[in-house]
Amino acid sequence: MSVDLSNVRNIGISAHIDSGKTTLTERILFYTDRIHAIHDVRGKDGVGAKMDSMELERERGITIQSAATFCNWKGKDINIIDTPGHVDFTIEVERALRVLDGAVLVLCSVGGVQSQSITVNRQMTRYKVPRIAFINKCDRTGANPERVTAQLREKLGLNAHMVQMPIGLENDLVGVVDLVTMKALYFEGDNGEIIREDEIPAALQERAQEKREELLEAVSMFSDELMEVMLEEGEINPDLIRDAIRKGTLALEFSPVFVGSAYKNKGVQPMLDGVNAYLPCPNDVENMALDLSNEEKEFAVTNNPDDPLIMLAFKLEDGRYGQLTYVRTYQGTVTKGDSVFNSRTGKKVKIGRLCRMHSDEMEDIDFCGSGDIVALFGVDCASGDTFCSGDISCSMSSMHIPEPVISLAIVPVDNKAQINMSKALNRFTKEDPTFKTFVDHETNETIISGMGELHLEVYVERMKREYNAEVQVGAPQVAYRETITARAEFNYTHKKQTGGSGQFGRVAGYMEPLEEGEYEFVDSIVGGSIPREFISSCDKGFQKSLVKGSLCGSGVTGVRCVINDGAYHAVDSSDVAFQLAAIGAFKEGYMKAKPVIMEPIMKVSVEGPTEFQGSIMGSINQRRGMIIGTMEEGNYTVVEADVPLSEMFGYSTTLRSLTQGKAEFTMEFSAFKQVPKLVNDELIKKYQSEKKNA
Amino acid sequence: MGKKNLVMNNPLRILGLEKKVKEDGASMGLVMSRAGLGKTAILVQIALDSMLWGDKVLHVSIGEGFDKTRAWYDDILRLMAVEEKNESFQTTVDGIMSNRMIMTFKESSFSQAKLEERLDDLVQQQIYKPVCLIIDGYDFQAGTHAALEEFKEFMVRHGLKMIWFSATTHREDKRESSIGVPAPCHDIDDLFDVVMMIAPKDEAIDLKILKCVSDTVDTGTSLTLNPSTMLIQKA
Repeated sequence: MSVDLSNVRNIGISAHIDSGKTTLTERILFYTDRIHAIHDVRGKDGVGAKMDSMELERERGITIQSAATFCNWKGKDINIIDTPGHVDFTIEVERALRVLDGAVLVLCSVGGVQSQSITVNRQMTRYKVPRIAFINKCDRTGANPERVTAQLREKLGLNAHMVQMPIGLENDLVGVVDLVTMKALYFEGDNGEIIREDEIPAALQERAQEKREELLEAVSMFSDELMEVMLEEGEINPDLIRDAIRKGTLALEFSPVFVGSAYKNKGVQPMLDGVNAYLPCPNDVENMALDLSNEEKEFAVTNNPDDPLIMLAFKLEDGRYGQLTYVRTYQGTVTKGDSVFNSRTGKKVKIGRLCRMHSDEMEDIDFCGSGDIVALFGVDCASGDTFCSGDISCSMSSMHIPEPVISLAIVPVDNKAQINMSKALNRFTKEDPTFKTFVDHETNETIISGMGELHLEVYVERMKREYNAEVQVGAPQVAYRETITARAEFNYTHKKQTGGSGQFGRVAGYMEPLEEGEYEFVDSIVGGSIPREFISSCDKGFQKSLVKGSLCGSGVTGVRCVINDGAYHAVDSSDVAFQLAAIGAFKEGYMKAKPVIMEPIMKVSVEGPTEFQGSIMGSINQRRGMIIGTMEEGNYTVVEADVPLSEMFGYSTTLRSLTQGKAEFTMEFSAFKQVPKLVNDELIKKYQSEKKNA
Repeated sequence: MGKKNLVMNNPLRILGLEKKVKEDGASMGLVMSRAGLGKTAILVQIALDSMLWGDKVLHVSIGEGFDKTRAWYDDILRLMAVEEKNESFQTTVDGIMSNRMIMTFKESSFSQAKLEERLDDLVQQQIYKPVCLIIDGYDFQAGTHAALEEFKEFMVRHGLKMIWFSATTHREDKRESSIGVPAPCHDIDDLFDVVMMIAPKDEAIDLKILKCVSDTVDTGTSLTLNPSTMLIQKA
């Protein structure tokens, strides 16, 4: 294993769904001799791509979990995190970017810059990740890598220029022209593993010269030496160009664009050369940590393997090997058998087993040094924890975790499923911080919430497949509430004589809206009209009434019940009698107290290309939303609104279809507000009809 | 009670603008000062006044983020709540918030045409139809007389009653119009119905009315600002 950090690359492969990044990773593994046969994502051989290790991923042809792998290309150790393409799995992308030094942004040469590319690019900018672009699928009908490069500039604001151009397109794609060396590269052999270098075809000479000029002009600003040679019109050494491209890329001011078709085995190896040449090694990137022994003062980690250990756990996975913890080492070295401290819990942890992950296979290693990405076996920790050696106490800066936006109720079909479901939920919530679960005490259902419908759908499927936990997924339910808006008096007598001892109790008083809190009981009885022992019975009766309001059957909140009079019978009064009297009194007063139905209002933020602003606002308006404002940021617009939760179900699908999948939204709870009259009437009608049919 | 009280006690009543707006429509107002003296605070109070009257306000903020603009409203309302000591104040505030929409643009991307496009989106889909526009951060150095006239036509096209602008003055630029409107608005002051200037004076801050076409106020009349809260007070 290399220890020279200049020979280490920690890269991510990110892109829009279906851009072919898993296929690209598969080819990378093949060319770097990590695998010895190529399997397609939706391959007829039924094996599936190496990186899509989950059955579900292989079936759907999308990456759900990011898998980590390691390879060596021309003397450089490359740790690769293959990240999901769907917007619902953003956390996987975010977590990968946090620990990576560079990234390959994969784009489809037909689809161009799509919404997820925009999201991923924004995330890369947030984490200051230098990137190169690979325009894939140049063999497809309608492929136009030049248009995609222009989109990289216009839509993503990247200073992107092609460092290669394709030789032929669509069915005629045969190779690429390297604009740095001005050579044509052809990929031969059964799997394109033999690279033949040749002269640029005559028909492409002129165009290639133009593109090279464009490239040189763009990168010359990063190298005085290159600019000088250009001004003197001298011979330009390719290394000089590479140096300039590297400088620009590391400074996040330039993005070299590679082209090819991973599926047709074209252009992958030169892209790997690009990873080696242009993406940073751990020493090129400044990572900050918080010194816990010095008021969380920020300091730059050293990357020095001789310094005290700092290691970040960025992903947990509970697989067939037990809990796997993916870690990135920022400084120091850790050897099998070492003890390290979890700086969050202060607990000492022994590193029993260190592994390099190759998708779902592990390769045991004895030590890992600064800059490495490896997995620890059997270490109990949470995602985002920092491990240190005993002589230092610090924490890597926290990772941005988006809030869940959608919830679903799930009900296990039987007792066995109930047990398995609990196990599954326990594991999923530990693995994925954007997936949350809780039991709604009002409906007694288990609610799962996450980043989108597909996100939850995948977890429901995983519960079934991996844990044999069959669950019924209910339609998303909103927890409405009822409250009163006026003061109302009650005076109710409960009297029952059915032979034997009877029941008697009279409860009088009033109820009024309670500004803060859910319920308050006030005993203003004087003179013993209700004996002391039955006061708590009245309270119980009122509390029972609060469970289900009579408007729509939802819980009642914000009520103060005051009793000031009553009557009892020496023989027939009892705890039950007074409870029933209080229930009756509540019913009597409740309808006079002008009850209303309240609904949860969500603060919704929709982000999408400006061209769709009108459609986005229209869609919010149709959902009873109140638009609070809009914010234009370049070609992007954010629309902020307050929208009832009940109107937000299915919104991700609507939004996708309205905006060609280019917009995304987040939402969080804001407040409970009274529903409009029309909705109020509908809810009452629905409840009445349910009651009738029950 | 709370709302009525707030409306009637608003020092801005002195300008008699509501009367003028109702009669004529399409008026433009301008709040000027050096940087950092509280133009946005004044514009927010003007916006809140319109909102209390039941008018829909579109607050366009150029160069400022959405959250920062909203924070101005929250701050001013919090201060008003302290002054008002009215229990129903929050209810009043909740009631008027549907009369406000904020739209923010980057300096480089704002244009009157783009604003019109956005406004059309809102009006045509019957989402929001403002009658008062607040434009905070408009670049008057680049804005010509013709460009401002275009805003007048824009107001008529969209049935807007009032647009309020803010403009930043610079100490070193001594140019001013015959009525004392400083650069960069000295040669476009004819387009405005009201021009107010914020100027520090001793320990207070003056809100001087340089121009007001309404007959309810004499030119030169002043309001003051509480320097710690930036709330408008009667002089």
